[in-house]
Amino acid sequence: MSTASPAEDVEVAAARRPQPRRGVSFRDAGPPIALIVIFAVFSALSPDFRTLGNVQNILDTAAVLAVVTCGITFVLMMGSIDLSAPGIMGASAIAVALLVANNRNDNALGLVGVLIAVLLAAALGCLSGLALVLLKVPSFMTTLGISAIGLGLATLMFAGVQPNITDTMLESWAVDRLLGFSYLTWIAAACVLLGWLIQRYSRLGRYAFAIGGAEEVLSLSGVKVAPYKIAVFTLAGAFYGLAGVMVTSQLSAGLVQAGKGFDFAAITAAVVGGTLLTGGRGGILHSAVGVLLITVLTNGLVQVGVSPYWQGGVQGLIVVAAVAAAVIPQRRRNQVTK
Amino acid sequence: MSTPVTAIPTTEPVVVNNRATVKQRLTSFMPLIALVTLLAALTIADPGFLTQRSLTAVVQTSAPLVVLAAGATLVVLCGGIDLSIAALCSLSTVIFALWLPDLGGLTTLAVIGAAGAIGTVQGIAHVLLRIPSFIVTLGGLSIFSAIALVISDAGPIRIVEREATNWLTLYVGGIVPMSFFVAMIVVAAIALVLKLTPLHSWVSATGYSESAARLAGTPVDLVKVGAFTVSGACAGLAAVMLVSRNFSGSPTMADNLLLPAVAAIVVGGTAITGGHGSIWRSLVGALVITLLRVGLPIVGVPSAYEQILYGAIIVAAVALTLDRSKVLIIK
Amino acid sequence: MTTDQQIEAEANAPGPVHALEVRGLVKHYPGVKALDGVDLVVHPHEVLGIAGENGAGKSTLLKALVGLVRPDAGEIRVRGEKVRLRSVVDAANHGIGMVFQEQSLVPNLTAAENIVLGSEGQGVRRGIYRWETMRKLAQEQLDKIGSTIDPLARTDTLSFADRQMVEIAKVLRIEERSQHPPVIILDEPTSVLEPKEIETLFTQIRRLREFASVVFVSHRLDEVLEVCDRISVLRGGRSAGEVLAADATPSELHRMMIGSTGSDNHYHDSAAKRPNLPREPMLTVRGLSGKTFRDVDLEVHAGEIVGIVGVHGSGREDLCRALFGAEPTTAGEVTLDGKKLDLSGTRAACAAGVGYVPAERKSEGMVGPMSVADNMTLTKQKSRCTGPLVAPRKQATLVDSWIERLSIRTPHRGTAIQRLSGGNQQKVVLARWLVAGDVRLLLLDHPSRGLDIGARSEVYRLMRELAGSGVATVLLADSLEEAIGMSDRIVVMSDGRMTTEVACPSGGKPTPLDLVKEMV
Repeated sequence: MSTASPAEDVEVAAARRPQPRRGVSFRDAGPPIALIVIFAVFSALSPDFRTLGNVQNILDTAAVLAVVTCGITFVLMMGSIDLSAPGIMGASAIAVALLVANNRNDNALGLVGVLIAVLLAAALGCLSGLALVLLKVPSFMTTLGISAIGLGLATLMFAGVQPNITDTMLESWAVDRLLGFSYLTWIAAACVLLGWLIQRYSRLGRYAFAIGGAEEVLSLSGVKVAPYKIAVFTLAGAFYGLAGVMVTSQLSAGLVQAGKGFDFAAITAAVVGGTLLTGGRGGILHSAVGVLLITVLTNGLVQVGVSPYWQGGVQGLIVVAAVAAAVIPQRRRNQVTK
Repeated sequence: MSTPVTAIPTTEPVVVNNRATVKQRLTSFMPLIALVTLLAALTIADPGFLTQRSLTAVVQTSAPLVVLAAGATLVVLCGGIDLSIAALCSLSTVIFALWLPDLGGLTTLAVIGAAGAIGTVQGIAHVLLRIPSFIVTLGGLSIFSAIALVISDAGPIRIVEREATNWLTLYVGGIVPMSFFVAMIVVAAIALVLKLTPLHSWVSATGYSESAARLAGTPVDLVKVGAFTVSGACAGLAAVMLVSRNFSGSPTMADNLLLPAVAAIVVGGTAITGGHGSIWRSLVGALVITLLRVGLPIVGVPSAYEQILYGAIIVAAVALTLDRSKVLIIK
Repeated sequence: MTTDQQIEAEANAPGPVHALEVRGLVKHYPGVKALDGVDLVVHPHEVLGIAGENGAGKSTLLKALVGLVRPDAGEIRVRGEKVRLRSVVDAANHGIGMVFQEQSLVPNLTAAENIVLGSEGQGVRRGIYRWETMRKLAQEQLDKIGSTIDPLARTDTLSFADRQMVEIAKVLRIEERSQHPPVIILDEPTSVLEPKEIETLFTQIRRLREFASVVFVSHRLDEVLEVCDRISVLRGGRSAGEVLAADATPSELHRMMIGSTGSDNHYHDSAAKRPNLPREPMLTVRGLSGKTFRDVDLEVHAGEIVGIVGVHGSGREDLCRALFGAEPTTAGEVTLDGKKLDLSGTRAACAAGVGYVPAERKSEGMVGPMSVADNMTLTKQKSRCTGPLVAPRKQATLVDSWIERLSIRTPHRGTAIQRLSGGNQQKVVLARWLVAGDVRLLLLDHPSRGLDIGARSEVYRLMRELAGSGVATVLLADSLEEAIGMSDRIVVMSDGRMTTEVACPSGGKPTPLDLVKEMV
């Protein structure tokens, strides 16, 4: 019901004086330290792990996840969630395989094909954003739906025959090396740099950050947040699209399942890196550290003889633990958790 | 623009206008209308569709989905979501195949119990650690898949003794498949328990307004853990049904049931924001989804469209049933 | 102000040109008239105080001034020109800005970004940040108030007082937008400041007066008198008069705020009905400490209504919730009727016979979409069950009897509670604790908030009845008047501690002023 003086409602909250935070928090310093520790531990445990070849291998493995994580980080910064990576990646992986030189048709668009695939992915991401903003459906539902739509598109394009690529440019991405690292690794590094620039120097990045911090304040200051939300989901879609292209390059073939598990792996990486699911904290560099952490951990576990099947399980445990660690200090008695 | 946000709680009139009730009425009949329309459309497309045999096949196919959706509906009614049901169901098929040689006839109960216990653990993690349910169950999804892969060595496990699951392949009265009959019993049992005990009040209050429920002394945490337990147990039962049909357990057997289950719940008209909805609605929703699945090829649509349809349906159904008055800021 | 504008303004409205003028502002909420014809004038370069009790309409008035609330009638004139304010941005363009009570800064952005948020101008070009320009833009604003805050510091690393400075700097940016001396509204800016910080703030306010008009709102009358030139008093949604700060005293001001309503007995205070209090208290609190309250001792007897009063930040709300197990406690012991009360959760409290009516009825008090009947029996499920099963007929009889007893106006017991009026909703929420007849302690957190006079009166009558039947009641009243009218005893809290206890017997009530002295 109405109250004549609603502003009084918040008196209790206002009375609790938030204390300023100072210094480098554990959340910022923790992940890099953990990365170094884990790296040291596995180096001590396994002679195979500490070879230069394995380090190259780790970075090459991390490349695709890093690009996906770049995209999802912006969404998480806003306090939303994105489960659409598998579908969008699948769609772009098949699309690019059919657009560059391949065994299914006569297309040989090369880089233009890559661009079209990424644009398709961005369009799918944009759809998630539109559904969120216009239909007001929570993002985890819209993106779950978009993921299904992406997978459906991929299945349609797949049409029962696997497209194998013969495009030398795209194939070379995964094979050729520059300064010891594959082109894919360099692409990932470029994405991280680009993501960081967007986050630091663009209005889109700063507003995404602010939306996670206090969305209502933005509206109160006359900023229309809806376009920025759509833009962030579009941007994320573009990153997933590129990641899908990268998977096709790695496999030399387009697969519907190209993005399977990447949604969760990316959320795990971002959260482990120090991005809060409630938004407003963390960033691309945090996420990059998280990606390395996850990759080193899974690689190391395999090197010491743990079944690769455990990979997802380890991620699951890590993400629950990381979220719990972030949430527990802020627990309240009468807190609502959905 | 569509950003209904202000820092200050607005003081809007709460005297509900009639528009909302019309909308409610529409959404409450939506699943039934959809079901009848689908049946009619399919019959027109293929006049041979409306036979006892094909209907029997439809309900038999729908049984595991009905059970999965029914369990997860409880979690949704409490305002959460369970994304782990399909993975847990897959894991349960593996456990079933592994335990069957030792436990024999008791395996069914043991698997349901184990799956329920796993659900309980997720529920406890959710309420004690205060982690959002979709993260807990997303983590659960990964963990269960991993366990299933490891203990099954990533391959299907064939079942040699079929006595333990044979009863599920029987027909009640010669017409109704036993698996669907069991699914109906599960739905009816959950619905009855809710209706006849204070549980319904507690579940709705928790889903509609958790803080109000807590301040009214509702055992919110217990209710939520209970919902996750039932959801887990239902995943276990669905696993037994799948095993009885496929004569094997496999670590990815039920993975593609997650989207249909979520779709069934929201198509049924249960609000993803919690509180509003019922188990019966999810039964109808599951039938709608199964009909779509079975019907697409009949109408001549390639099954690849199935996924796209699920995606669109989920978004559209959530948009229709969402209680927007509750959330000022949609994340 | 230039002559041109003056001429233009005077063409619009004859008479002297004011920085801001409000005439006959009316705003209705269902069942409540929040504003009932408010008049207000703000002169250029003055500090105007607005005083009024809770519910006097201050917040609604301020919101109307910054475009968050659209008035039903009346007009707002800025420099003589009639304006319609649709949003905060709209108000800013007309030169009106507000420093919100809960700060409206984005915590994870820099101070500079917050200051220019929404009007970055040259700070952002084609979507790309130019940090140096932005820092300069922010520095300009900070210089106006002589603040030395680093514009590139993250806002959440600043102290509360510094953040308030950032907020003032942000509001001052409207000066560039409107090209006029701005009107700055400060809504309860001192409620969480230390005395020293308050002094700094007052210096700032006096500095602001050089180039702006300031509207200052505070609960603390001494502050209002200290910093303002002129004070406008609101009462019951109407203007109740104006005084010059130099001429007024706190008691005078307070008299204007509460008016002369002492004669009518809508608090149903009747000495004849008071039962003799038992010697042993029903509730005994010893040394209870929590997040916002420390070392609280309290006794409440059966049949007694004890009011707890205090300003913002006194900790009384948290204390109340802690007694219900909804806020954690760190030390102390509570006994109810001789037995130790388990404070670990709300369920234990309910079982022990404690009832709680939250201030936020809509979000915490009731489950809106659920029926009146289900809301009423939500806590005491046993009252509607036979054995473990719900007995619909038993519930119907029980609920109908309470609907009649409390004269709750509802079409049916099955009607969703959110469709009822506020007063009837509140009665259902109260009935929740009564249906089982086992409640021994009632904690009422602003039980009359947002209710109209008639509904208030009924809630008061109900409270009296309950006290008469031997329920111990703790009341956090909406206004001092209400606390005095309803309570048998008043406890004053300040900064989380109980400072004084004032007897409040029928026939020997203290005046609000007696209490105000103790509260500050």
